[in-house]
Amino acid sequence: MIPGPDRAATEFVGRRAPVFAMALGLSILTVLTLGLYRFWMKSRLRRYYWSSIRPAGSPVEYVGEPLEKLLGFLIAVVIMAFYLGIVNLLLVFASFSLFQSNGVAYLLSFLGVIPLWFYASYRARRYVLSRTRWRGIRFGMEQGAAGYAWRAMGHWVVLILTLGLAWPRMTFWLEKYRTDRTTFGTVTLHQGGNVAMLYQAFVHLMFGVLFSAATVAIAVANENYRFLWLLVGFVPWALYGLVHYRVHGFRRLAAHKTAGSLGLIAQPRVGRVAWIWAFGGFMTLLGPVLVVGGVGAVLIGLMETGVVSSSKPLPEVLDDILPGWVIFAIGAALYFAVFITFGVMRHVFLTLPLWRHYSETLTLTGVGALASVAQRPRDPFHEAEGFAEALDVGAAI
Amino acid sequence: MTGRMVIHVGGAPAPFAGTALYLDGATAELRAISLQIDEEQRNLMIEGPGLSPTLWPLADIRTIPDQADRTRMVLAHTGDPVARMIVEDPETIRLLRARCPDLGKRPRPLGVGRLLIWAGAAVGSVALIVMVLVPLLANQLAERLPPEGEAALGDATLEQVRRALNQTGMNPLPICDAPEGIAALAAMTRRLSGAGDVAQPLKVSVLDHELVNAFALPGGRIVLFRGLIDAAQGPDEVAAVLAHEIGHVAARDPTRIALRSAGSIGVLGLLLGDFAGGAVVLFLTERLIQATYTQQAEAAADDYALTLMQQAEIAPGALARFFEHLQTLGDEPSAVMAHFMAHPALGDRIAKAAAATAPETPRPALDADAWRALQRICAPSDTP
Repeated sequence: MIPGPDRAATEFVGRRAPVFAMALGLSILTVLTLGLYRFWMKSRLRRYYWSSIRPAGSPVEYVGEPLEKLLGFLIAVVIMAFYLGIVNLLLVFASFSLFQSNGVAYLLSFLGVIPLWFYASYRARRYVLSRTRWRGIRFGMEQGAAGYAWRAMGHWVVLILTLGLAWPRMTFWLEKYRTDRTTFGTVTLHQGGNVAMLYQAFVHLMFGVLFSAATVAIAVANENYRFLWLLVGFVPWALYGLVHYRVHGFRRLAAHKTAGSLGLIAQPRVGRVAWIWAFGGFMTLLGPVLVVGGVGAVLIGLMETGVVSSSKPLPEVLDDILPGWVIFAIGAALYFAVFITFGVMRHVFLTLPLWRHYSETLTLTGVGALASVAQRPRDPFHEAEGFAEALDVGAAI
Repeated sequence: MTGRMVIHVGGAPAPFAGTALYLDGATAELRAISLQIDEEQRNLMIEGPGLSPTLWPLADIRTIPDQADRTRMVLAHTGDPVARMIVEDPETIRLLRARCPDLGKRPRPLGVGRLLIWAGAAVGSVALIVMVLVPLLANQLAERLPPEGEAALGDATLEQVRRALNQTGMNPLPICDAPEGIAALAAMTRRLSGAGDVAQPLKVSVLDHELVNAFALPGGRIVLFRGLIDAAQGPDEVAAVLAHEIGHVAARDPTRIALRSAGSIGVLGLLLGDFAGGAVVLFLTERLIQATYTQQAEAAADDYALTLMQQAEIAPGALARFFEHLQTLGDEPSAVMAHFMAHPALGDRIAKAAAATAPETPRPALDADAWRALQRICAPSDTP
C-alpha cells in the first residue's frame, strides 16, 4: 500500500488448496446433476472469492442465492427457447434455401445474439453488484442495460472500422457508463479522467501490432521473406503491449474512480500479470492434456504388456475386452474430466493468482468518510443473471 | 473456564465475555464491540461505542459459509438481513462455537413455489417448442426447401454422421468405393427409382460400418451400412430396404427430421449449459441415424416400397423375410435397424409385406455376379 493518512491497504486471504478442493468437488456435483448444481457452484465459489478480498481489513461478502440464479435461468429459458428453436430453424432454412450452406445461418444467428449478449452482461453485472456487500453496505447498479447494449455495439463498429485503434476510446466510455451507474450505499461512483490517459497506456500495443503487421505485409508484397526474423522481436512486443495496456489501463481508470471522498490507488505490475497469464495459461492447458495422456498411457501399457492384443486398432481392442456401455461410460467420464480439469486448473492457476495480485496492490483512500456512507434498499432483481447464464456471458466465475 | 485472561465488562464476573467487530448494516462504520451472554434469556448482548445495546438470541446466530479466512468468523442474525459480526479473537470464536446451537443451520429457501411455477413454464415452453412448434414448422419448411438447398443440407448431415460414427474421432467413416460394387448398387437404384416417381435424383452410398442399418438423408441421399449388406440373405432383401428408404425420401421425411434437429440443438444446449454442448450434438446426430419416424411415416414408406418393388418386378416378400431374419438376429437391438424394429406393429408390417401381391414374373434384384460385387463393395481395391 501507499502509506499516508486516511489510507487503507487490501489483504487477500484466498488460498489455492481450498479453491482446488471446492472447484473440483462442485464441478463433479455439477456433472452428476446434469448441470443443475452449477448455480450452487457459482454461488459458493463467489462467496469464497469475495470473502478473500479484505479492503481495509473487512471482507467483501457475496449474498447471491443459488435458487434465485436458477429462477433467473428458468425465466431466460422461457424467452430464449423460442429464439433458439424457431428463429434458428428459420435461419437454417433460409440459409440452405438461398446459399446452400449453413454458414450464413450461424453468422446471422450469432449477429442476432450480440445485442442480447451486451444487454445480458450489463444485467449480470448489476445482479452481482446488487448481491455484493462490504462493511455491511450494499453495492448496486442503476438500470441501463439497453443503453449499454447499443453503446457497446456502436463502439464495436467504430473499433472494427478503425482496425482496433479506437480500443482505448471504447474501454474508457464503456467503463465510465458502468461506473457512473454503480453505487455503494448512498454514494454513487464516478469515473473521471479521459480517453487520452488510456492512449498513453496503449502505445506499446499499438506499435507492437503495427510493426508486426508491417513486417508481414512488406514481406508478402515483395515476396522477400528475409526480414521476417524481425517478428521475433515485434510479436513479443505486441503481447507485452497487450498486458501493459490491460494493467496500466486498469491503474489509470482506478486512479480516477471516486465515490464521494473515497478513492482508489491500484498498482498491479505488468511483469507479474504477464507471468500469471503465461504460467497459469500453461498449467490450465496442461491439466486436460495430462488427463488424456494418462488414459492413453494406461491403454498403451495394456497393449505393450500383452494384456490385450495390439494387432488391431484401439477401438476394436476395447470392444473385445469391455462391454459397450463400459466403453461409453469411460468415454463420457473422460469427456467431462477434460472439462472439469480445465476449469479447476483455471481457478487455481489463473483466477485466484490474478485476483490476489490485483487485490494486494489495491489501496483505498479517504476511508475516514466510510462512517457517513449509509445503506441503500435491496434490489430484488428476479431474473438474476439468467440471460447471462443462458448466453454464457463470460464472467470470471 | 480457560486459562486465558478475559476482560469483564460490567460489575460481576461473567461466565462469558468476548470481543468482536460489528457492522450494523445502516452505515459502513466498523465498531469494536464487547460481547456477553445473558444466561437466563439465552441472548448475546452486544455493546459498543455509539451503538445502542443490541441482543442476538443465541439460537438465531448463524455463520456465513464458505469464508476464505478460516481464522476469523463472520456471523449473522436471522432477524436482521444486513448486520454482521466479524470475530477475530480465537477465544471468542471458540466460546461462540460452544454456546450457539445452530451456527451452521441454513435458512429455508424462499420462493420455492414461484420457482416451481417458472420451472413448469420453462419445461412447458421447451416442450411446446421442441415437440410441437419446431416439428410443425419443419414439416412446412421441408416442402419448400429448394432441391439445391436440400442437397446441401444432406451433405452437411452426412459429414456429421460420418464423424460421429468413427470411434477414433480422427477421420470421417470411409465410404465404400469398389467400382464393381458401386455399379451394382447403381443398377439396383436405377431399377427401383425407374419404377417410381421420385422427384429427386437419388445418391446411394455404403458406409464401412458393421451396424445393420440404413437411413435416408435430405436431398435424396440414402446410406446403407456394410453390416446390412452382410446380414442380407440375397439382393432382394437389400433392394427391399433400399425401396423402404426411397419411400422416406419421396415423403421428404429426412428433411423434416434434419430441420427439426436444427431447431432442437440450440434449445437442448441452452438447457444443459455449455459444459455438455458437444454431447448434445452427438446425441442429436444419433437420433438422426436411429431416426424414429412416426408410425404413419413408416407404414407409408412400407407401402411405397411394396408398390415400388411390384413395379420393378422384385418379389415384395423380401421385405417380410428381411424383417423376420432380423428378429432372429436381434440379440442386441441397437445393432439392428432401430427404426424398423422399434415399432410395436412390426408383426402387422411383416404380415402386410408377406401378403403383398407378387409380380407375375419376379426377377432377382441383381444377378449373381452383381450381388457378389455389391457384397464386396467395401473390400480394399485391387489396384495399388
